[in-house]
Amino acid sequence: MITTTSIAPDRASVRASQADDLGYDLALLQHDSVHADSADIWTLGSWIAGQTDQLQLAVTVADIPRRLPSVLARSVISLDLLSGGRMNLILGENNLSVDAVGSVIEIVRGMMDLSERKALSTGGYFPLRGVKRGPIPAHDVPIWINGAGPEILQLAGQKADSWLAPYQNMRLEDLRIANQFIDQAATDAGRDPREIRRSIVVSGMISDASDTFLQGTTRQWVDDLLPFVLQGGVGTVLLDTSDVDTIDAFAREVVPALQEAIERERPVDSSATRIRRADVRAKRYAGIEYDAVPASLRDSATEPGDVTYPAVRSTYIRAGSPGIVLQARTTAEVVDALAFARRHPDLPLSVRSAGHGISGRSTNQGGIVIDLSQMNEIQVIDEASRVVRLGPGARWMDVAAALQPYGWGLSSGDYGGVGVGGLATAGGIGWLSRKHGLTIDHLKAVDMVLADGSTVRASAEENQDLFWAVRGAGANFGIVVSFEFEAYEVGNIGFGQFVIDAGDTAGFLEKWGATIEASPRDLTSFLIMGPPRRNQPMAAQVLTVVASDDPDTIVDRLQPVANVGPLYNQQVMIMPYAALMANTQGSYHDPGGEPAARSGLIEYITPEFARAAEHLIKSGTVYFFQIRSVGGAVSDVPPDATAYANRSANFSVTAFGPDPERVNQAWDELAVHFNGLYLSFETDQRPERLEDAFPGETLHRLQELKAKWDPENVFRDNFNLTPNVTSG
Amino acid sequence: MTDYGHDLLFGAFITPVAQPAMQPVEHAIAAEEAGLDLVSFQDHPYQATYHDTWTLLSYIASRTERIRLSGNVLNLPLRDPAVLARSLATLDNLSGGRIELGIGAGGFWDAIAGMGGRRLSAGQSVEALEEAIELIRTVWGTQSRNSAGFAGNYYRVDGVRRGPAPAHDIGIWIGSYGPRMLRLTGRHGDGWLPSLPYLKGGPSDLTEMNRYIDDGARKAGREPSDIRRMLNIGGQIASNSGGFLNGPPEQWIDDLAGLNRDYGISGFILMADDPGLIELYAGEIAPAVRERVAAERGVSSP
Repeated sequence: MITTTSIAPDRASVRASQADDLGYDLALLQHDSVHADSADIWTLGSWIAGQTDQLQLAVTVADIPRRLPSVLARSVISLDLLSGGRMNLILGENNLSVDAVGSVIEIVRGMMDLSERKALSTGGYFPLRGVKRGPIPAHDVPIWINGAGPEILQLAGQKADSWLAPYQNMRLEDLRIANQFIDQAATDAGRDPREIRRSIVVSGMISDASDTFLQGTTRQWVDDLLPFVLQGGVGTVLLDTSDVDTIDAFAREVVPALQEAIERERPVDSSATRIRRADVRAKRYAGIEYDAVPASLRDSATEPGDVTYPAVRSTYIRAGSPGIVLQARTTAEVVDALAFARRHPDLPLSVRSAGHGISGRSTNQGGIVIDLSQMNEIQVIDEASRVVRLGPGARWMDVAAALQPYGWGLSSGDYGGVGVGGLATAGGIGWLSRKHGLTIDHLKAVDMVLADGSTVRASAEENQDLFWAVRGAGANFGIVVSFEFEAYEVGNIGFGQFVIDAGDTAGFLEKWGATIEASPRDLTSFLIMGPPRRNQPMAAQVLTVVASDDPDTIVDRLQPVANVGPLYNQQVMIMPYAALMANTQGSYHDPGGEPAARSGLIEYITPEFARAAEHLIKSGTVYFFQIRSVGGAVSDVPPDATAYANRSANFSVTAFGPDPERVNQAWDELAVHFNGLYLSFETDQRPERLEDAFPGETLHRLQELKAKWDPENVFRDNFNLTPNVTSG
Repeated sequence: MTDYGHDLLFGAFITPVAQPAMQPVEHAIAAEEAGLDLVSFQDHPYQATYHDTWTLLSYIASRTERIRLSGNVLNLPLRDPAVLARSLATLDNLSGGRIELGIGAGGFWDAIAGMGGRRLSAGQSVEALEEAIELIRTVWGTQSRNSAGFAGNYYRVDGVRRGPAPAHDIGIWIGSYGPRMLRLTGRHGDGWLPSLPYLKGGPSDLTEMNRYIDDGARKAGREPSDIRRMLNIGGQIASNSGGFLNGPPEQWIDDLAGLNRDYGISGFILMADDPGLIELYAGEIAPAVRERVAAERGVSSP
C-alpha cells in the first residue's frame, strides 16, 4: 500500500482538501522553518480534520516541552475521535533527547490505554502523577518517529508504528542502512520488524523529459520508486511539492502505475496487512487464530490488546472479555465472520447489534463476538404500504427519529439505545404495546445468514417455519442482516411521569395492575421500584404513555393512574414518540460486573403475587424492579402464530440484583405466580428457562426447526434450543 | 444602574464531553443555526472524559461559518502562552476572525501538577497570568518587526518570533473572582467572564466585583467601559417561577435585562447541553432581551 501527501505551509487547508478529493491517503503536516509566519501546526491539523473526509492526517509536533506531553496526549485522542480515526502523531528530536521522545510515546500510549484501570504515573523526563487515562481514541493512533541518527532509529525500532525518513529523496543505500538499525532494534525488543511502516519523502517533476531521479515520465517515476518499495521496504511515499500539476499527475498516474507494478513484482503471499505491535499481540488469547481473520474484517477487528478494546468488550450491564470482536459492515462480512467463528467450534459465539441486551448474551468471556452495529440502515422501502427496512445495528431511537417525519412509528422497548437485531428477534415490549402489540408482530420479512453461510429470506410466503421461529427465538437460527417492518401511524403521544407513594407496596402494585387492566388500549404503563432507602418513603416511578395527542384524552387516561396512590411528583408532557425514545446519547458500555436479571410474565397482579413482590423489593436482593404492561394487542395474536407464545400475559415483571444466587433463589419462590418469561430480560442459564420462554408445543416445534436450520448447533450461546447441551 | 454600553452578546457554554465524540460539535452547530453569537468551552485537561478544548475549538471553527468561539476559560498553567498566542492567531486567520481568548489563572493545583504543570500559589498564578497576557500580545504584535525577547519570572522566551498576526483584534476575556484578579482584569482585559454559580451571594456580588475592575482600569489609565462584562449563567425553563432564571421565558427576559441594567452585564452565556433550550434561548429570549435593553437605554440616555 502506498500513501502519499503534499503539503505547503500556506494554503495548506485548501491543499489538504484537494488531496482528499484526489484520493490521497494521507497528508503530513509539519512546520516549515523557512517561513517566518509560524502557524501552529496542531491548530491547522484540527482545522483540516474538519475540512476533509477520508484523508489521514500525520501531524508533526515539534514544540515539546512547551506543549505538555500530557495535554498533547489528550489532544491526540481528541483529534482522533473528531476525525473518525484519521490521526497519526509524528515525533522527532526537535530540542528533545531520544529518551525524552521515548517518554512522550509512553505518555501518549499510556493515556490511550484504558485496559489499565490504575491512573497514569510516569517518571523520567516528564513526570506525571495520578493522571486519569482516556478518553478512548477511535483507533490506535500510529506514532511515527522522524530522524536519522542511530539512537532515534533504535527508538523507532523499539517503539514506533512508523518511521519517517528525515529528508527528501533519500538514497536507497541510505534507506537500507537505516532499515538495518530499525530492524535490529525491533528484533532485539522482541518485535517483528514489519510492525514498523517505512515512510519516505520524495520530490520531483513529472514531465516528458527523462533524465535524473524523479524528473521524468510516469514510467520513470515508477522505475525510480519501485526499488524503494520492493527492496527498501517502504510502505508510505510522501510527495513534497507545491506544484499543483505534479500533485494531480502523481495521484492520477504514478500511484496506480506503481500499485500495478508492485502487485506484479511482489511475491503473492506478502499481502500488506497491518501487523499489530508485539505488546498488542502479547495480549492475544490462546486458541484464537488471529492471523486467520478474513481480510474483509481485519481492519475493524478488535483484540484484547487494542486500545479500542475497552469500548467494545462489554455490554450494557455485563462486563465481558471476548477474545476478538469482529465488526461486520455487510452481509458478506457477516458470512466471513461466521466462517471464522466456525473455525473455533469450542469457543463462545455472541452476536451483538447495539449491546444493550439485558440477558447478557451479546458478549462473552474468551470467545468471539460478531458486532453488527455498523449495519444500521434505516430505509423506507414503500411509502404507500409503510414498509421500512432496518439493519440489525440500527438503534430504536434512530428508527423513531427517522420514521417521525412520515408520521409513523414502531413500538420497541423503553430505551432508545437498544439495537434492532436483538429485540426484533425476541419480542419487543414497548411504550405502545397494548395498542400495537409486540415489535415482532409488525415484522414482515427477514434476510438472514444461516449457520452454513448461506443467506435466506423468511416471511409469510417463504420459509414460513423459519419466519415463525425468528419471531421469538431468532438468535438460535442465524444472524438476521435485514428486517422488513410495516410501520404504523404514530403521532405525538402523552407521557405521564408520576412518583407515587408505595409504602403499602403490595396494595399499590395490586391497585396499579387493576387500573392498567381496566384502561383502554391506548394506555401502556411501566413502573419501577428500588429497595427501601433510609429516611425516604417507599415510592414507585410510574411512566405511562397515552397514544393520543388530545389533551383531554390524555388527562382522562392518566387520571386513574394518578389516583393509584398519593403523588409525590407528577409531570405530563405531549411530545413526539421519537422524543420519548431519544433518551440516551450512546456512549460505550462499561459496567462493573455481571448482575442477574430475571423475568416473569403474569396475567394479573394478584394479592398473593403483590405480597411476594413486596417481600422481594423490601429484602434488598434486587436493586431494580420493573413491571411493564403487556396484554391488549399483544394478546390478540394467537399463541401459535409466533415463537413468542406467552400471549395471555398482561404484565412483564423484571428484576436485577448483584448476586445471581440470591436473585435466583428469591425468583424461584415467585415462580409459582408466573406464566412464562421474556428471554430478553433473563440471565438464568438453567435449561428449565426454555420451557418458561417457549411453553408446551412451542419448544418442541422450535427444537425440530433447530435441527433443520442449524443442525450443527452453531448458534448455541443465546438460550440454546438443542436438547442436552448446556450453553456457554 | 450600571451599564457600560456594549452591544449584547448571547452565547452557549457547552460541555466538551468526549463520548459521544461528536456531541459538543453537534451542539455548537445547533447554537450557530439557532443564531447565537458565541460558543464556548471549559478547559480542564486533567478531566479524562473531556475533549482537549483547543483541539475541539479548532475543529468546531472548521465546521462552522459564523459563530464566534472561545475557551471559557482556557487553563493557563497547562498551556504555554507562546503556543497559545500562535494557536489563537492561526485559528483566527483560518476562521475569518471568529476567535476570542477566554483565559484563567488555573485553580486545581494538585491536578495541574499531576499533569506535569507548574504548581503556583494563588498570588503567583495572578502574576503569571499578567505576564502571559503581555507575552501573548507581544507575539501578536507584528507591527514591530524585530523579534522580541521576553524574560519574565514565569515565562521566558529567547527571541520570540512575532506572528502570525491575528485576523482581528482578539479579545482577552478573563475569568476572575478575587480582588487581585479583578484589578488585573481591569488593567489588561478586554472582557470579564465569571460564572454565576460561583458567586456566593448571587448576582448582587457583581456590584463589588465591578468596582474592583473599574478601579483597576482607571488606575491603568483605561475606561471601565473598555472591559466588557459577561456572565456564564445556568437556569431552567419552567411554567412557574422558582427563583432567578428558573421560570417561564418572560421571567428570563426580566432577569437578563436586569443583569444588564443593574450590573452592566452585556454577555449572557448559557450553560446548556440541550439543543431545545439553546433554540428557545436564541430564538425567543435573546431577541426580547435585546429589545428590552434597547428600550431602557433609549430612555435613560437621552
